[in-house]
Amino acid sequence: MISLICLPIVQFFGNYNYVIHMVLFSFLYITMSSSWNIIGGYGGFISIGHNVFFGIGAYFSGFIYARYGISPFYTAVFAGMIATVFGFAIGLITLRVKGPSFIISSIALLMIFRTLFDRWELVGGAHGITLPHNTLSVEWSKIPHYYALLILMVLSIYLSWYVRHSKFGLALRSISHDEIKSEVTGINIKIIKVTAYALSAYLIGAAGAIWGDYLTYVRPNIFFIILIAANMVLMCILGGKGTVTGPIIGTIVMIFINEFILANFGASELNIFFTGLLMILTLLYFPDGIIGSLKKRKLLPGFLDWG
Amino acid sequence: MLKINNATKSFAGIVAVDGCSFEIKKGTISALIGPNGAGKTTLFNCISRIYPIDSGEIIYKDRRLDLMPTHKIARLGIGRSFQITRTLDHLSVTENLVLHTAGGIGSHLLLPAITMENRQKAGEIMEFLGISALADMDMGSLSFGQKKLLDLGTVLMADPELILLDEPAAGVNLRLLEDIIEKLVTLKNQGKTIFLIEHNMDLVMEISDEVIVMSAGMIIAQGQPTEIQKNAEVLDAYLGTNA
Repeated sequence: MISLICLPIVQFFGNYNYVIHMVLFSFLYITMSSSWNIIGGYGGFISIGHNVFFGIGAYFSGFIYARYGISPFYTAVFAGMIATVFGFAIGLITLRVKGPSFIISSIALLMIFRTLFDRWELVGGAHGITLPHNTLSVEWSKIPHYYALLILMVLSIYLSWYVRHSKFGLALRSISHDEIKSEVTGINIKIIKVTAYALSAYLIGAAGAIWGDYLTYVRPNIFFIILIAANMVLMCILGGKGTVTGPIIGTIVMIFINEFILANFGASELNIFFTGLLMILTLLYFPDGIIGSLKKRKLLPGFLDWG
Repeated sequence: MLKINNATKSFAGIVAVDGCSFEIKKGTISALIGPNGAGKTTLFNCISRIYPIDSGEIIYKDRRLDLMPTHKIARLGIGRSFQITRTLDHLSVTENLVLHTAGGIGSHLLLPAITMENRQKAGEIMEFLGISALADMDMGSLSFGQKKLLDLGTVLMADPELILLDEPAAGVNLRLLEDIIEKLVTLKNQGKTIFLIEHNMDLVMEISDEVIVMSAGMIIAQGQPTEIQKNAEVLDAYLGTNA
């Protein structure tokens, strides 16, 4: 943790923007996969449209920045809240169904938002919103995003850990396997599901706000694409959904492999091939994800066993 | 204590529960028996409101259960088990036992999943059922009989006044059956009301104060075990002849 806080010091010794970028990119995805894990891992609702909240956060803060000049660093907290409100409203509708129907409804949700934002002239339609660059020099321009995403990542891991070990999380994990049993035991399954869904949207929305500022533009074809949600899901499955450390490990492994292939073989799309291969191998040899399967075989080192 | 008034439930034209009326008295053990497909489990599911009834009333202590969401019924002090045990295999044994503490909505949901108090209570229940050794095991690794006992345990954890058991003796060996009978009698002596569905006639006749017989969705007889054994209509329903 301390090394992560101190990492930007390397910028005093040269331009390590690539390293900084990769690390903050990992922060972003750990934030998102850990948040997704709350509803997808503990709750068992595989949402492949969760980047809707990422987009909502980015558009909310981006719009305010472009129009009123208030930096997304100040409005990210509210972007998360807006995402949560949308989470409640959407969850009330989509969480009535489960299994494959829910998955399909989550994809449909993403398509609705993509179409909506593609055509919404107020926020720039398909061109989106262009945001001003920050005024820092090239070595330091990424550092505010670095720390903002670091904070979001720590919060997301803490939230995930807290939910996992609370009665709320117990109710959620119970619902994931047997709704009728949960209900008969006295669990208010509707409220628990919708709350978990909205909760998982919060930090994803806030991360969207920061990411929009980092990219300096917010566009439907960047934020409302299924690839982002698919990444969250795959990272969780790779690391072990329903565990606290699974999404963290899954994200790191996936980003590393992707980047390693890209760096060595160029933009040949071999990275996509290898990501697929990695998923197949994982599902064959670690059906519960890396952390989940190691835990089942009682081979998981204690420092990775957070529940 | 529990009063069913003319309850009817049908599925796509097939009447599963047909105008059933009866009452369960406080502090008794009542058994619901009948041939397969008579509608016993459906009736239980109507009491827990897993299915809403089409007409009639289900009243528990002056409250209409048929107008209440399922999760609230549990909180009135009604616990139930299922014919096919519904233990949650991916949770630990203790987590299964304390599941009811995650019920409802409120700040208690922010507490740790298993508090010290919960752990203590779970220990007591496991001791009562004679399964203390299972405390640290994975639910998935338990045998059918152990799960059956734990299923009863999860019901008892919430300290319900009315206990609905769907075939507590199905598929259990003789020794375990004796255990279960003994536990049920103890519970009755503690003042609990028990309403159970059972095919094991030895168990039914041994422990019940009242037997209710269901056939083709209707209540065909109700009375003390000795009366029921002599009832011609009951024999007919079971044997399918006028012998």
